[in-house]
Amino acid sequence: MSPLVALFHRNSWNVFRRDFMAWQKYAFSSVAINIFEPMAWFLAIGFGLGAYLTLGKSSLIQFIAPGMLGLAALNAATFDACWGAYERLNFNGVYESMVTAPVDPLEIAGGEYLWQAFRATLYGAIFLVVIAGFGLVHSWWALLSLPLLALCGILFAMPGLAVAFMVKTQEHLFYYFSFVTTPMSMIGGVFFPLDKLPHWLQAIAWCTPLYHCVNIFRALVNGQLHPGLLGDLAWLVVVMALLAYLPVPFLRNKLAR
Amino acid sequence: MNGLAVHAHNLCKRYGTFEAVRGIDFDIARQECFGFLGVNGAGKTSTMKMIYCRTTKTSGQLDVLGMDAATHPREIKQRIGVVTQDNALDPELTAAENVMLYAAFFGIRGTAARERCAELLHLMNLEGKERSRIAELSGGMKRRVAIARALVNDPEMLVLDEPTTGLDPQARLAVWQLLLGFRERGITLVLTSHYMEEAARLCDRLVIMDEGRILAEGTPRELIAQYAADDVLELHAVDLSRAPLDGSVRRREQHGDITYLYNDDNTALLARLAQLSIESTRHVARPATLEDVFLNLTGRELTD
Ligand SMILES: Nc1ncnc2c1ncn2[C@@H]1O[C@H](COP(=O)(O)OP(=O)(O)OP(=O)(O)O)[C@@H](O)[C@H]1O
Ligand SMILES: [Mg+2]
Repeated sequence: MSPLVALFHRNSWNVFRRDFMAWQKYAFSSVAINIFEPMAWFLAIGFGLGAYLTLGKSSLIQFIAPGMLGLAALNAATFDACWGAYERLNFNGVYESMVTAPVDPLEIAGGEYLWQAFRATLYGAIFLVVIAGFGLVHSWWALLSLPLLALCGILFAMPGLAVAFMVKTQEHLFYYFSFVTTPMSMIGGVFFPLDKLPHWLQAIAWCTPLYHCVNIFRALVNGQLHPGLLGDLAWLVVVMALLAYLPVPFLRNKLAR
Repeated sequence: MNGLAVHAHNLCKRYGTFEAVRGIDFDIARQECFGFLGVNGAGKTSTMKMIYCRTTKTSGQLDVLGMDAATHPREIKQRIGVVTQDNALDPELTAAENVMLYAAFFGIRGTAARERCAELLHLMNLEGKERSRIAELSGGMKRRVAIARALVNDPEMLVLDEPTTGLDPQARLAVWQLLLGFRERGITLVLTSHYMEEAARLCDRLVIMDEGRILAEGTPRELIAQYAADDVLELHAVDLSRAPLDGSVRRREQHGDITYLYNDDNTALLARLAQLSIESTRHVARPATLEDVFLNLTGRELTD
């Protein structure tokens, strides 16, 4: 059975509740930290660099704004799926106590997916409000970004959790950031269009989930929907289904020690 | 409710190539208190982990509450309570949140969970600490939160890995009283300990483990009779090599300067030594305890 089914197990919601209860206690600083840095990038590149560049009819900041939603989902989910879950597994005995109760690692993974969906939606929504404040949202379709953020949170949590449950020391998590998520955020179509990139780099970009979700965010925020988006959505859903089970064997293995 | 609480036959646990548990047999009856004693690394925790279905056996047979531990972990966990060696409390949550979250995993929610939580924290003498974060509690309080949490599903059996390690004498006494209370109520207790006095007081039966094997099994009284004697006389720096004591000494151990004489009556033995004009600069005459059994079986020296 895939964790996507287990998402709706009672225990997964309890795992979600646990993470939420813990987060509540430092919610303000968590939000501030997670929003401030990407906001600085957004403003610096959008307004600073954007003053020197235009992209056809569009301004650079208009291009970047919806991309930030994808980036917010990626960062929100990845950060906690890696550092947070690593600590919950190895330092705090959080999962250890869960499996002394009738909870299966599958349900823990499901609960973590729900939790990362929440984080991605929350941090993405804050960005949506901010870019709306700058007048960069042009359609009510943008509201559909919220469920898409949740979906992206789950999708980005999958490899993140797998890495957290796989590595032997916390330092190894940096490999994932340096070799996977940071490059992906650069070539995922957040900051610039990909059509002038070399073909091989475009091909790599096409293989990242960020590229497809940013495509959809951009269309929703600009209100320019087209049938090609269904392809992007299908791509995300298929990859999600394929990766869903990935973290579970690693977690099961660690918890059976 | 008849049958055994736990039945283990030729139970083995390997980590990689290392054999932590090497083919042990034991039966734990319902409603008894059963102890596992042994030096560090003897395999106690590994055995506990198999019993509470945290890890699976490598080979052998293990039934818990009449169910195969390999195939029915969820059903078993539903009916037992577990206190792990390191408490495994969630440091980011409060005492009450820890208990309530655990209750939710057993399907106890809402008002029922709140009432159960209040009741258990009251039982554990933790009133006023409900809203304290785990990090703000003392070692003894954390232990009691962990025990409260383990009771949330009204378990038939409690598995406690070193329930009193690191506690001060008062806290230890409090835990003993609680555990004796549970035993009165008919809860099967399975525990490990490094404290012989604790085992002697609490356990109906116990085993002594060493290097993954069971060396001895029985009631505390049986073990003392079999592996020690009624009395022990500890003599300091004496030479007994030519003393004709064989009739009155059941067992003799030499450890450094100290000679341990296991016998049935210290007064008689002391009189006999006086007759032979054997004087020790210092001697201790005391009844034999489980500690002697343990040290006789596992050696008085610190190994590894
Ligand atoms: N996850 C593991 N991986 C590898 N070896 C392990 C693991 N857990 C335990 N061991 C080894 O198995 C042996 C038994 O360990 P165990 O924890 O069962 O001992 P114990 O009797 O509980 O000791 P203590 O009194 O120190 O708690 C030890 O040598 C330990 O190093
Ligand atoms: Mg142990």
